[in-house]
Amino acid sequence: MNNISMTRASAARSARAAGYCATVFVRGLALVVLVPVLMYSAVLCLVGVGLLILPHELRLLRRLADGERDRLGRWAAASTPPAGPHVRRRLMAVLSDPATGRDLRWAAAMTVAGTALGLIGAALFLFPVAVVVLVGLWWLFPADDPIRLILNVPIDSWGSAVYAGVPQFLLSVLLALFGPPLLARLAASVSRWLLAPSAAAVLAERVSTLDRTRTGAIDAHGNELRRIERDLHDGTQARLVSLAMQLGLAERTLSADPAAVGPLLTRAREGAEEAMAELRDVLRSVYPPILADRGLAGAVSAVVARCPVPATVELGELGQPGGPGGLGDVPAQIEVAVYFAITEALTNVAKHAHAGSVSVTLARAGGTLRAEITDDGRGGAAEGGGTGLRGMRQRIEAVDGVLRVQSPAGGPTVITVECPCGS
Amino acid sequence: MRIVIAEDNALLAQGLTALLEALGNEVLATTEDAESFVTAAVTHRPDVAVVDVRLPPSFTDEGIRAALRAREQVHGLPILVLSQYVEDTYARELLADGTGVGYLLKDRVARVDDFLDALHRVAAGGTALDPDVVRQLLATRGNPLSRLTEREREVLAMMAQGYGNSEIADRLVVTERAVHKHVGNIFVKLDLPPEDSGDRRVLAVLTHLGAPQRQSRRPGPEAD
Repeated sequence: MNNISMTRASAARSARAAGYCATVFVRGLALVVLVPVLMYSAVLCLVGVGLLILPHELRLLRRLADGERDRLGRWAAASTPPAGPHVRRRLMAVLSDPATGRDLRWAAAMTVAGTALGLIGAALFLFPVAVVVLVGLWWLFPADDPIRLILNVPIDSWGSAVYAGVPQFLLSVLLALFGPPLLARLAASVSRWLLAPSAAAVLAERVSTLDRTRTGAIDAHGNELRRIERDLHDGTQARLVSLAMQLGLAERTLSADPAAVGPLLTRAREGAEEAMAELRDVLRSVYPPILADRGLAGAVSAVVARCPVPATVELGELGQPGGPGGLGDVPAQIEVAVYFAITEALTNVAKHAHAGSVSVTLARAGGTLRAEITDDGRGGAAEGGGTGLRGMRQRIEAVDGVLRVQSPAGGPTVITVECPCGS
Repeated sequence: MRIVIAEDNALLAQGLTALLEALGNEVLATTEDAESFVTAAVTHRPDVAVVDVRLPPSFTDEGIRAALRAREQVHGLPILVLSQYVEDTYARELLADGTGVGYLLKDRVARVDDFLDALHRVAAGGTALDPDVVRQLLATRGNPLSRLTEREREVLAMMAQGYGNSEIADRLVVTERAVHKHVGNIFVKLDLPPEDSGDRRVLAVLTHLGAPQRQSRRPGPEAD
């Protein structure tokens, strides 16, 4: 019983391996065609035509290579994430993609190694069937040149078909069980070795990703600074200047016409109040005071309490206790980004979702701060629909976070925010 | 009135003291942090205390906590909290502690008459909420308010700030009888027990709007 199930398991494994070998073989055949075409096009670059067709061929190559990367991931459980299609079509852009070089060397090696390994691997799986058929058909061969299979024993009668055929069949079964997995592993490791980026390349890509997000964060920060400067300069500062002027005027008027001073002072006080209100708005947009007072947990609870739609909040483990609201050391800019995202999401729910209830969860798992806002509204929230989703995304991405929106028509809408916050 | 001030910003503390003393009040003590404020409140037992929300050492909501602590030690001590911004969470916390509390934006101090008016109301055991706080509180659970007319909403907002019928009549330039009628309609529409004293009405309105209230201070079960 046990033996049977073991055999069945190895047969299944062999079948999977043979399937993989077959795809390697087919890709190899495709490359047998594509590689010479590529080389020819490269030569044609000298006269210009190649410049136009080469990018398309490289895109095709990328599709083949990505198919292999994907297959590797599923078959050999080796993580070689697909490099993705080329975004731009200019030849230099395509060539400067580090994955293109890997595609090319893989293509060169696979025309020979892939085709051979793939063919043998797939064929070995069918070998027992061939043996049975050929042994059964011994009588079709001429008597002076009888069929000989793996062992050099002629099969020229039903007797020899049994005594030579059965061991040969068993041998072919063994080969079919263990051959394809071996060859598939070999082919897979060659592919992986050629397709997977080196540690240095992975690091370089990570650096360039970080570089991009960092540039985004610096831009966002710069824009924020300019906005604050403009708000203070055009609003508050201008109001204070006009306030000082009104007071100066009142001072001058005092001796000449005391009765006229009253309205001037009233206007001055009103100006001061307006300046204070504006200043408050600027401050709130920089760092909401409630965040400073109560921490992220307290601030989110306050927002939830204020939501016109019945709302619940669930605060998970948020960090080291001790800080205000138990949110010890979440960096301030991440607190602000998450807080504004939740505020904005709740505003959207109140305005657009037609929801009966909304729930907010906020928790920290290791180095990630995670917020989820779920409502039972009508769904269909779309970026660019004027619901502030894009602004939320920009804020979150500026702090290296991720924002996901699931909002099928008919609801429910789930907005997930994840930000790295140190550990 | 005899007043204790808790304000860490020296400029503002001096300004407040000067303003209050110029209007004939006695400033018993000016404290700069929560601890010394509570001590001063216990020692001097003022008619009313004016407290800034943010105080050292943490500069968060020390003032609110200090106010609640002081009221534990001096029962019913009237406290007017001043803040640079409005946050209805704080108003809810103060109101949950009963009456004789106020919560105003610092801006309002500039309107000296309004500020004094609020201070007197709080000292007398009434309530004084900043119009902005009231706006936040009323915006929170908006649905039942849709049944009110524009004028009734105006009256409700002033009720929630702590004004009595005659003051509302003055401010809206209508007769007191008209206000009385509006208030009656509001009570009926919002399903509130009819009450007449100013702070009771505030609590009734705010209870309805979802501010947490202590069970014992919950108004008007006898009226149900």
